[in-house]
Amino acid sequence: MVGKIIQIAVITLLSGSLAQAVTSKENYNYYCAQCHGLEGKGDGPNATESQPVSPKDHTDAKEMSELTKDDVIKVIRGGGAATGKSTMMPPFGKTITDAEIQDLVNYLRKLCNCKFENEP
Amino acid sequence: METFRFSRFAGTWVAAAVALSGLLLGGVEAGAAEGKQTFDAKKCRDCHQTEGPAKAKTIQDQLATKGPELWYAGSKFKKEFLGKWLKDPKPIRPMEFNSITKKNPGDHPKLSGKDADEVTEYLMSLKSKDVEEGVVKPDKNPKNRNIFEKKQGCYGCHPVKRGEKILGGLTGPTLIGAGERLNPAWVYAYLKKPKVFKPVKRMPVYVDVLSDSEMKGVAAYIGTFE
Ligand code: HEC
Ligand code: HEC
Ligand code: HEC
Repeated sequence: MVGKIIQIAVITLLSGSLAQAVTSKENYNYYCAQCHGLEGKGDGPNATESQPVSPKDHTDAKEMSELTKDDVIKVIRGGGAATGKSTMMPPFGKTITDAEIQDLVNYLRKLCNCKFENEP
Repeated sequence: METFRFSRFAGTWVAAAVALSGLLLGGVEAGAAEGKQTFDAKKCRDCHQTEGPAKAKTIQDQLATKGPELWYAGSKFKKEFLGKWLKDPKPIRPMEFNSITKKNPGDHPKLSGKDADEVTEYLMSLKSKDVEEGVVKPDKNPKNRNIFEKKQGCYGCHPVKRGEKILGGLTGPTLIGAGERLNPAWVYAYLKKPKVFKPVKRMPVYVDVLSDSEMKGVAAYIGTFE
């Protein structure tokens, strides 16, 4: 009986977390691509000529590898202001979880096909 | 005797006044009730949620919706704007709803005069208890402008006007004319309680990023947009 209850509880927990799992691609396409573009080239629909700064090209291996992983996390969480960049890069720390931000960092590594500064 | 006659006379007037106000109130309610019928008949409900609370809790849920929720329309919109827009629905969002690749086709269903007025009555009756009326007054103060333009880049995703020039991003609803369109008290509540009005959207959550007074300030600034 107790075993059955635990079994049901585990299944409920699992299916709950499965339903909620968001992939980094989903997050990137929903939140980031509107400025950085669906392929990360810095050409989303918000990158209009009238903007004071252009969104970073996330496929530019040279520029991306000049950033440290810590700075990338900071800038996603706190926006441009967190690392002395433009506030046109908005803060997402209250919108997505820290774990999702970690996943986005991995996704960015794939987009630039590079490693961040000081990474082995 | 004198007083008796007077009170009978007054009584008649009171009765008449009560009857008249009853008629007027009944009239308003009838407008909203007919508006609700029109809303159903025209299948507006296929694309619009008119009962709270917010349903879309994940990106997938949100992407599956076909139109913005209207269950707090009476707290969000200014009545005069709504009446005009339903008759001549010019695009509010530059992009097609939920899309970042296609332009808004500008094909929203139109309503004719009487239908539009009644649907306006109906939509204006959909209020949210989370909007406290009158807490924000339009205010162009440079401090408020600074929150919108420098402290945060709100125009990064929203079209705005600077002088005669149109600038800004395209994925958020236009804020040009927001002073005539939106209730500033709702804008403040929308920033302050994102989970109540729109848990999942492309716009970041600014709770604990902007202070309460900054939220009021930026809402007051948007309230001045022509
Ligand atoms: C409103 C548009 C906008 C959105 C949305 C946006 N960004 Fe940015 N992002 C920018 C701009 C503009 C810059 C360039 C800032 C600068 O160079 O000062 C930038 C820069 C960056 C940088 C480089 C920072 C640096 O130090 O050079 C990273 C990394 C980044 N964004 C990641 C993201 C991620 C991940 C998301 C989604 C969670 C995202 N951005 C969403 C506009 C945006
Ligand atoms: C096929 C789906 C669809 C139908 C049917 C539809 N709408 Fe809409 N409605 C939308 C979309 C999409 C938008 C956003 C348009 C824009 O931003 O320009 C919208 C916007 C609105 C708005 C403004 C909401 C906001 O938050 O900006 C109102 C009010 C509205 N519709 C009322 C109605 C009424 C009344 C009807 C019925 C006559 C109706 N709609 C039928 C899809 C629909
Ligand atoms: C990364 C893009 C982005 C940024 C940055 C952004 N917004 Fe938004 N905003 C949106 C989107 C997208 C919506 C529409 C959400 C929806 O209804 O799906 C929106 C909706 C709104 C609305 C409601 C408009 C309506 O008609 O429904 C207001 C008001 C608003 N934003 C104000 C602000 C303010 C103030 C800031 C800065 C503190 C800001 N936004 C920054 C993308 C953004």
